[in-house]
Amino acid sequence: MSSAEKHARKSWVLLHVGNRRFALPAESVMELAPPVRLHNFPHTSRLIAGVIVRRGRIVPVYDVAPILCGRESSVHRFYLIAERAFGAVRDVNEPSAIPVSGECELATGEMQPPQENAPAYFAGTLAIENENIDVLDLQELVSAGSNNPSPANQAEARP
Amino acid sequence: MKIAAQDTAKSRRSRSTEAVILFCIGTQTFAIAADAVQEIRSTDSLATAAIEMELAEVPKVRHLVERSHRTYYVVSGCAHFGLRVTRPTLVLILRQIRTAVLVDSIERMADVPKVHALPQAFQGEERQWYRGLIYLEDRVIPVIRPEGFLTPQEFARLDHASKAIEARQEMEGAVPA
Repeated sequence: MSSAEKHARKSWVLLHVGNRRFALPAESVMELAPPVRLHNFPHTSRLIAGVIVRRGRIVPVYDVAPILCGRESSVHRFYLIAERAFGAVRDVNEPSAIPVSGECELATGEMQPPQENAPAYFAGTLAIENENIDVLDLQELVSAGSNNPSPANQAEARP
Repeated sequence: MKIAAQDTAKSRRSRSTEAVILFCIGTQTFAIAADAVQEIRSTDSLATAAIEMELAEVPKVRHLVERSHRTYYVVSGCAHFGLRVTRPTLVLILRQIRTAVLVDSIERMADVPKVHALPQAFQGEERQWYRGLIYLEDRVIPVIRPEGFLTPQEFARLDHASKAIEARQEMEGAVPA
């Protein structure tokens, strides 16, 4: 079963990054966290803006706006926490946070295959309210950021 | 019986917490297990004992010091973590490992109940730098992995360079002025 078929007719969380809407499978979303303190310390991992603490757990925050929108965004004050899979067969999950504007909603719809030449981090598209919304593959998205660094996220310690 | 009960309680308490030293480099706070540190000295007190060394392959080490017949390589904390260069005033001389670390200040000691694993999202050099993270008084603080300051390869290069320095000093000492 392809990724597109697996997610067909499911629930999706629609989120705003920059001025665009994207979708994540609702089953992977754990919570929408309020604005909390972003902690930082030196590291060399690309895309990671820092960590937040939620329910006693330390959750890494991925700044995906430069990849999705081509620029940093300052309007993101909330954090959408979703599970990211690790390991060769994606058998280890870890909560991961994405800064969002806070305007998230739940929608149901049938995912269509991604547009031709779409980046690998778009698993497909949803047609909702006359808008085609790209469905994010979180694993591919953060891998894309790690493999293709932009000048904004070069590997250097980010205190 | 009473004494035994107290011992048990004390043992349970000591197993469930860990003593760490909080120290600062620039504006960043780090933690290191207290039992990983042998000595804390001021840079001034070690200045006369420090021998300069420059190795292009290991630029974060610019001095070595002899302590108790052992050679310790002095690592710049700023250079190691890629932080802005500061003026360190203290040296943490580590236990077990022949490394000393230049830091700016000691904040305090603390007993921490739990060291959280570093999230898998962190895949860079920080996996060598840190044992994990602690959450203390609304701050997330990385806990240093003492053996992460220098790799075995770096130690080998530094040992090679220090032997060359030692040989040169012996030769200079043997030549009458």
